[in-house]
Amino acid sequence: MITTVIGNYPKIPDLPAPGKWRSTVERFQKGQIDETQLQHVEDEVTAEVINEQVQMGIDVITDGQIRWEDAQTHFARRLSGFSINGLQRYFDTNIYFREPVAEHAVAWTGPITVSEFTFAREHSSKPVKPVVTGPFTLAALSRNVHYPTLKEFAIALGRALNRELKALEAAGAEVIQIDEPAICQRKQDFDIFAEASRVLTDGVKAKKILCTYFGDIGGLYPQILDLPFDVIGLDFVAGYRNWDVVAAAPFTRELQAGVLDARNTRVESVDELVRAVRRLTAFVSPGRLMISPSAGLEFLPRSVARRKLAALVEGTKVANQDLKGART
Amino acid sequence: MSSRMNLPLLATSAVGSYPKPAYLLEARRKALRQQISKQELTALEQRATREWIQIQEDIGLDLLVDGEQYRGDMVAYFADEMEGFAIAGLVRSYGNRYYPKPVVVGPVGRRHPVTVEWFKFAQSLTKRPVKGMLTGPYTIAEWSFNEHYPTRRELVLELARAVGEEARDLEKAGARYIQIDEPAIHTRPDEDFELALEAMEIVTDGLSAYTVSHICYGDVPRIYPRVLKLAVDQLDLALKNEHFALLETFKQARFTKDIGVGVVDAHSHRVESVEEVAEGIRKTLQVIPAEQIMVSPDCGLKTRAIDETVGKLRAMVDGAKVVRNELTGTREPTRA
Ligand SMILES: [Zn+2]
Repeated sequence: MITTVIGNYPKIPDLPAPGKWRSTVERFQKGQIDETQLQHVEDEVTAEVINEQVQMGIDVITDGQIRWEDAQTHFARRLSGFSINGLQRYFDTNIYFREPVAEHAVAWTGPITVSEFTFAREHSSKPVKPVVTGPFTLAALSRNVHYPTLKEFAIALGRALNRELKALEAAGAEVIQIDEPAICQRKQDFDIFAEASRVLTDGVKAKKILCTYFGDIGGLYPQILDLPFDVIGLDFVAGYRNWDVVAAAPFTRELQAGVLDARNTRVESVDELVRAVRRLTAFVSPGRLMISPSAGLEFLPRSVARRKLAALVEGTKVANQDLKGART
Repeated sequence: MSSRMNLPLLATSAVGSYPKPAYLLEARRKALRQQISKQELTALEQRATREWIQIQEDIGLDLLVDGEQYRGDMVAYFADEMEGFAIAGLVRSYGNRYYPKPVVVGPVGRRHPVTVEWFKFAQSLTKRPVKGMLTGPYTIAEWSFNEHYPTRRELVLELARAVGEEARDLEKAGARYIQIDEPAIHTRPDEDFELALEAMEIVTDGLSAYTVSHICYGDVPRIYPRVLKLAVDQLDLALKNEHFALLETFKQARFTKDIGVGVVDAHSHRVESVEEVAEGIRKTLQVIPAEQIMVSPDCGLKTRAIDETVGKLRAMVDGAKVVRNELTGTREPTRA
């Protein structure tokens, strides 16, 4: 049983330490520095965040998505066919993102996350998991003025992002996570989601994680297991109903289990983690289980995010011992 | 529950916050580093408030706000002044904007009135009515971390009692219009909506002031028409940023409250034209009678530049005037 994270990580340190990233972006926006200088600082902060995860003992890390303004525009700005509109609230959070607008046919014009992935890999002694926002979520959070239907839009995005997955694979990515939080909110569109997922993953041999959060997959289980993903990521905090949902049928995939609350500062005790793992191992064997926070940690101040990582690693370690003890 | 008193047809108001002038931003930075005293900062906050009251009078708004020059974040401001909160740290809101997110660490409650002194100050500067401005209990709870209360319900209801005391103190201090913002009300539309309604009942219980609740950025159709049960006289909503799409929703069930209709986008740099504002009001009039309509920006304007803010307010007031004239067939004398 290993540990991983979902994706983003706080970009700035706690007060009163100055936020290097934040002041650099401000200078960039005022035209005082150029993009190369901004990228240099983003590289520095990314390396720092990678190091923090490695030091804390996370087994499979991400690059913390320091360079992402948000999970939607990071892709929409780099695909063709989109313009970027005003702010929208990101699901049920107090976080906002700029709304992508599909004005023309969307298409992949070149790698988006590949250099981020290779940078992270060079700076990490632990395996790095690239993350791509899934076509369904990107479609759901965009405004579509080009395609006649959501289905056509999502499938076109699936086709475009399929090339991104293949580019990541060609760059050596063995595991790729696809984030699809929107499916927890829009279950009625499961058929569109399924079709877009098939187009997205067509011909991609890397291990694929379907990551859901901010809700449960009640009503989509077990059919979600038939989609072409090797690992399913579930949120057991905001999606606490998932505990009952997965009891309804055998869990035939690997599980990335979000059991630490990524959106509250209260840090879980070792005991809570051990109990959660016992519940999880009742339906998934430990070898097919990754333990993670319920979502990206950028909802928290940096110091709390670090404490969450520590709790995750310590809790999983004790849970592993607990399981060994139970077997002997 | 109360009437709009003697406000004109299509009266104009604002959601709450205005941008802070450069001298105040600088002073706030210095105050953080303890390079200037609290008194010096307060004096500059008063100066900025005075300026915004003057600007609103000059432009011709009917119901003024104090501009919240002394507030940082709308939740952290209350958390700072109340029992039971700490500030957990900075959390990103969007782009490189961060806000200090509070955390509930003990029983919440009011130590002393929070907004009353600023209300009295702002009202002393003008003969026009100034709104008392509060953040609603559901939103304070939702936008704080919680390490103390076992359930959200307990936290929300406890906060409702505190915000209700504050509302009654504002009324005693002379506020005839009180706004209780609930921009997070639709966060969990199925699970929690009844709780948000119950909390607002507690807040406005026994008030005779005219009450408003501002709601923005979320799935309003999902809570309509249930939101008409919210215990306030007016719902202030962002219509402009969704190109008045909400009107389709309001056609499905009669809009039984007053509406504060957002006619200028609070998050775009572009200043709307007078005709654009007038057109937005006319569209609204096709669905909701004029007697129920007040005119406002989509949201607080604090993230806009000062000239953008002034431009948007002016377009709003002039646009409202155009439609008012069309309705009454009279030419209203300009106030300037
Ligand atoms: Zn608002």
